[in-house]
Amino acid sequence: MGQAEKPRSTLRINLDILNAIRDEGDAKPTHILYRANLSHDRLVKYLDELAGKGLIEVQQEGENRTYRITPKGVSFLIEIRRAETFIQGFGLAI
Amino acid sequence: MALGPLILFSLNALSAVVALLTSYFAYRFERLANNPLLKAIAIGFMLLGVGLLVEAGTSVALGQTLVEALKSRVLAVLETFTYLSIQMLAYIVVAAGYSYIAFGRSQKAAGASVLAAASARVVDLVGLYRFAVASYFVVLVLLAFVVFQGILIHSRSRSVFSLLVLLAFVLILSAHVVLLVSVIDLAGSLFLVGTAIQFLGFASLLAFLIRSARVGPS
Repeated sequence: MGQAEKPRSTLRINLDILNAIRDEGDAKPTHILYRANLSHDRLVKYLDELAGKGLIEVQQEGENRTYRITPKGVSFLIEIRRAETFIQGFGLAI
Repeated sequence: MALGPLILFSLNALSAVVALLTSYFAYRFERLANNPLLKAIAIGFMLLGVGLLVEAGTSVALGQTLVEALKSRVLAVLETFTYLSIQMLAYIVVAAGYSYIAFGRSQKAAGASVLAAASARVVDLVGLYRFAVASYFVVLVLLAFVVFQGILIHSRSRSVFSLLVLLAFVLILSAHVVLLVSVIDLAGSLFLVGTAIQFLGFASLLAFLIRSARVGPS
């Protein structure tokens, strides 16, 4: 019997969201949703948290809402990547 | 001053810097990832760094190596007991961290009791010389466990990062075999060889730290 897949950590989800936003430039929620593989409700929760920490900024044009990564977000992304490679050395994953 | 203690001071001081750097990064990333092994690495390497600084400082202050201190008993308590106790505690913490990820929470108590029994064996022994031999022996057992876990981890991940960490622990384990023999034989030159091998282990750890710090955003 196959082993059940471990749920993603909050840090991993944040990494996936930030990667999606950075790659898109001005990212639409549907694109982030697809790339980060999250439900709409959970995505909104995570986006609000990231925006609250100043890691992403929200741009509203009429009914269109897009997200852009801030310089603080890029630094955080680098920090997570460094943490990922460091803990990989000790057999862990974020 | 004799060349031996000076070499010992340099090697141990450099190894201590690497150990403290490892501790710092483990602490920094533990705050992000919230993992018990990272906490153990942070505490264990901090203790190891402090222990190596004590060993470096006392060897240069006394102008003699640990083995020479064991022979002459001059400030042997400071030279030997402090360093070996801190070192043993450091490796107990690191090995406990690895046992935690290897056996999980349910086996935590069993793992801890094995480690406690191993350290209690040392406390039972009377005499500084026997304490030195026994503590090196316990550290050897703990390091063998850490290396075994490192082999399992590397066989799964096959990453250069896990290879560098494994290489570091293999070298530190090899160093402790030489250090144990040198303490048993009271051979000062062998003790320097062991310290040099241990330094190579910390150099491998430094290579790992540099490579992991170079990682970009993607």
